[in-house]
Amino acid sequence: MKAFFKRFARNKGAVVGLIILAIILAAAILAPVLYPTSPWRMVTRPFLPPMSPGGFWLGTDALGRDVASGIMHGARVSLIIGLVSTLTALAIGIPIGALAGYFGGLIDDALMRFTEFFQTIPAFALAIVIVAILQPSLYSIVLAIAIVSWPPVARLVRGEVLSLRTREYVQASIVIGQSTSRIILTQVLPNTIAPITVMASIMVASAILLESALSFLGLGDPNMMTWGYMIGAGRTRLIEAWWISFFPGVAIFLTVLALNLVGEGLNDALNPRLSREGG
Amino acid sequence: MPLLRFIAGRLVKGVIVLIAIATMNFFLIRAAPGDPASVLAGEAGAADEEFLRQLREQFGLDQPIMTQLWIYLTDIITLDLGFSYRQGRPVLELIMERLPATLLLTGAAFIFSLTLGIIFGILAARRVGKWSDTAITTGALFFYATPLFWIALMSQIIFALWLGWLPNTGFRTIGAGYTGLRHALDVGMHLILPATTLGLFFTALYTRMMRASMLEIAGSDFVKTARAKGVPEGRIVRRHIARNAILPVVTLAGLQAGQIVGGAVLTETVFGWPGIGRLMFEALAQRDYQVLLGVFFVSSAMVVLFNLITDVVYRVADPRIEVGR
Amino acid sequence: MIQKKTGRALATTALALLLSAGVVAMQPQDAKAEPQRGGTVQLAVTPEPPSLMLGLFQNGPTQMIAGDIYESLLRYDTDLTPQPSLAESWEISDDQLVYTFKLREGVLWHDGEPFTADDVIFSLDVFLREVHPRWRPTVNAQVASIEKTGDYEVTITLNEPFEPIMLSFEVGTTPMIPRHIYEGTDYRANPMNATPIGTGPMKFVEWDSGSYVHLERNEDYYLEGRPYIDEVYYRFIPDAASRAVAFETGTIDVLTGGSVEIFDVPRLEQQDNVCVTTAGWEMFSPHAWVALNVREGALAEKSFRQAMMHAIDRDFARDVVWSGFGTVANSPISSRTLFHSTDLPEYAFDPDRARELIAESSYDGETIDFLVLPYGETWTRWAEATRQNLEDVGINMNLVTTDVAGWSERVGSFNFQMTHNFLYQYGDPALGVSRSYVSSNIVQGNPFSNVMGYANEEVDRLFAEAANAASEDRPALYQRVQEILVDELPVLWMIEMDFPTVYRCDLQDFITTAIGVNDTFRDAWLQQ
Repeated sequence: MKAFFKRFARNKGAVVGLIILAIILAAAILAPVLYPTSPWRMVTRPFLPPMSPGGFWLGTDALGRDVASGIMHGARVSLIIGLVSTLTALAIGIPIGALAGYFGGLIDDALMRFTEFFQTIPAFALAIVIVAILQPSLYSIVLAIAIVSWPPVARLVRGEVLSLRTREYVQASIVIGQSTSRIILTQVLPNTIAPITVMASIMVASAILLESALSFLGLGDPNMMTWGYMIGAGRTRLIEAWWISFFPGVAIFLTVLALNLVGEGLNDALNPRLSREGG
Repeated sequence: MPLLRFIAGRLVKGVIVLIAIATMNFFLIRAAPGDPASVLAGEAGAADEEFLRQLREQFGLDQPIMTQLWIYLTDIITLDLGFSYRQGRPVLELIMERLPATLLLTGAAFIFSLTLGIIFGILAARRVGKWSDTAITTGALFFYATPLFWIALMSQIIFALWLGWLPNTGFRTIGAGYTGLRHALDVGMHLILPATTLGLFFTALYTRMMRASMLEIAGSDFVKTARAKGVPEGRIVRRHIARNAILPVVTLAGLQAGQIVGGAVLTETVFGWPGIGRLMFEALAQRDYQVLLGVFFVSSAMVVLFNLITDVVYRVADPRIEVGR
Repeated sequence: MIQKKTGRALATTALALLLSAGVVAMQPQDAKAEPQRGGTVQLAVTPEPPSLMLGLFQNGPTQMIAGDIYESLLRYDTDLTPQPSLAESWEISDDQLVYTFKLREGVLWHDGEPFTADDVIFSLDVFLREVHPRWRPTVNAQVASIEKTGDYEVTITLNEPFEPIMLSFEVGTTPMIPRHIYEGTDYRANPMNATPIGTGPMKFVEWDSGSYVHLERNEDYYLEGRPYIDEVYYRFIPDAASRAVAFETGTIDVLTGGSVEIFDVPRLEQQDNVCVTTAGWEMFSPHAWVALNVREGALAEKSFRQAMMHAIDRDFARDVVWSGFGTVANSPISSRTLFHSTDLPEYAFDPDRARELIAESSYDGETIDFLVLPYGETWTRWAEATRQNLEDVGINMNLVTTDVAGWSERVGSFNFQMTHNFLYQYGDPALGVSRSYVSSNIVQGNPFSNVMGYANEEVDRLFAEAANAASEDRPALYQRVQEILVDELPVLWMIEMDFPTVYRCDLQDFITTAIGVNDTFRDAWLQQ
């Protein structure tokens, strides 16, 4: 564990990413404390530029809502959407990948055809259709993101399991007659955690980007203040009120950046073989 | 001919996947609230039951759903994608009208991002840790993490509105009647902003991949051997490292090429590019089922095709590789 | 009507403004600039219409484009007074039952065939009676016969006096359809729908799907010298921000009403050579309201509805959400059309009064869903502001979004609690207003019927009586119906809407009629 942190800390980018992430997390947690009123509340005149008196550091939007409050509250929703949709995608992808890799043969073939099927449909288009059909809401957005992002997980897990199951200790467990589910859960899957963690950190980032793109197209949950919503709502006023969509854009950028940096750090720390020592 | 058998096998599998996709999409799309008739009513601002009944009858929506599915699937096998309810024209015709624009856009974005990505990747890998590496990796991270539509909006404001260098919307100057070279140039000017915007994310992706791939191969045994034998550094990078590092990047790019077609929705919407991504988004909003299904079918077919091409190229380029599944 | 033009050149453009406002009649003839021939105009229209066959499709964009391809018997000036179009003159019998239209001679369809009384009979009595959702009820309920009384004369006989019929002969309600192309065919499957043939000043050239529709000057138009403009392109640019940028960079000359986001208008107006007008919508006078499903729950209670009316800040909506465009509405009948009453109680913005009324009602904190009208960003902002207003007085609100299909389906099947909607008024309450309130129009499948489920026998009776009453009796009947509705609030009237058109001031005589945004190019010309 110590070695892990050491390797992680050696990657300066990862540390920076972790700090940014911590700040965003703090914003998400502290949002109701610092901005107790709803971010939807029209608190003052519309189109106040940033640094306006009255504490509107980031200005106000078209209806006089505080952009800073929106960013803070948006952090919660964006992070929740990122995390929950990633967990959902993992919950679909891991079992499929594990079963396919462990059993091989016909089951593998069938499950991989199924995975391929979802990889063949253009992902973003499928997400749009799912949200439009189910009507935009937190649930439909999470579901849509999960449905389009699980196939790579399944492929990754399958690949890992494929190589793990030939290992001696797994073979030994089979020989002593442990149940299949027990072997998968206790012997095989724990060893896939490292690559899955790395992948998951990147997936959270992509999920946040995907949610913002959906919101931008008007497919966001109208009761949830998200960064994507803020950009979408402010974009048509970009020329006269750049701040409305500029700051949430920065927030998305920082979050995605941080998650990617952390992902790289995790990769270095968990897969020392592949670390980028470079030449 | 193992290659031919391989291709034939893949094609058969591809067709099965496509039919399954068509069936799933058929039901998926029918699950959406409303139908093309209610959209037309909603847009017209006036309607009555008779109006809706006439439209539904005309569209064949009064038939049982399984009959509609059967008609659709039997048509699709003969590559007949049906009629657009809304525009009363064959779907294939509509798609073929729009497909060139999308292929031009995605093709340009693809070549742009792959070329730049490989060049930047090599540059960064050769100067690991130096400022140029830092600049490239930071830039790549920046474009990787910034929402595409955000870049699209910014570039419109900067290059079209403030600087006035480039047109911000459309495929060509309408009403100008350009022909030949002038026309090509005109389309090219319109292409720059959308293609760059669409390509930036992938440029960032390929740059990062190329860099990583370079570094991985630079540490491999055969490079060390070459270096020990005293092969000049430039030659090592060109002949040994870059050559081998490109292959996985190109492969992944090929696998993604099909997805770019479907992913162009945002770019086409923001830049008014008359491609199939926009056609799909509009067809969805209008519940123009046949068009929506048609676009899904064609873009999925594109993915199958690109995957196949990539695998074949890969196999030809590197015969050692077993192109199994 | 608001006519806005800012900038230094105010005095010099005053004349042009008056002309474009459509008050030509007020101008002495010699003061009018001589129209010039030639030029190309590019307009942004959104969204791309399904078809240009105006008889079959009445979508806003279809009307905007095809309104210059097709023509009807009459046109209307901005006071809704009938003007000649394909009918040169008309007579109304003293008992207000027989309408005789004398048609213009020598009019040719775009394919060269002559236009005659047979085409009018076919259009009004056959084609439109079968397919047109607004002409059908009028012709079936009010018209006894439509007869050809000469090669160029048509006589319409009514069952009872029905004054509003004179407002039905605009191109969107009764476009003249070429009999030689459609008679005996399956109208909706006719391949000629793709290449519309009318008698109008502009001819269809080409439709490049996803990009533009190209119209050109009708060389054989029956008015000497007209139209003035050679080519017209209607461009389809899906993104509102891109449309505004395209206008600013000069790619586009006109942003039609609805294709420009309303908050962009004040900014665009600041620029040189940019004119803004809200004219050309008088016939439609779109009336925006919050429709309430009054069938059950607190929404079924009058006092709760009145509380909501007091809770919603309509001035804020007009000033901020609609950037100052529009007029706060106080009545079911728009102040811009006939029979609007100014003698009605008004609901002031008064959250305290709203809280009192809510306390008296049976409302018990249940969440009320507000279905957002999916017609663009401004409506979404408005829904958000409305939610906030209502939450401020203690009503729990939840916004629900969907697309046009979902909205149309849900509202049309009464599966909603609250939603925004806006309806055209069509000049007369009997054509555009009564349909929302009479109980006979509580029909499923159509979001523009009485979806609220509001039923009041007296309202039914008054509307029915007023439609067929003699001219002098109608105001009193409509006064009474307005009083009842304003008290009972089946819907919460919000704003009489403006859809400003933004255009280059070089365009002269641009919008001259009550549907001026649709039949633009008969008179428009380009200052060169």
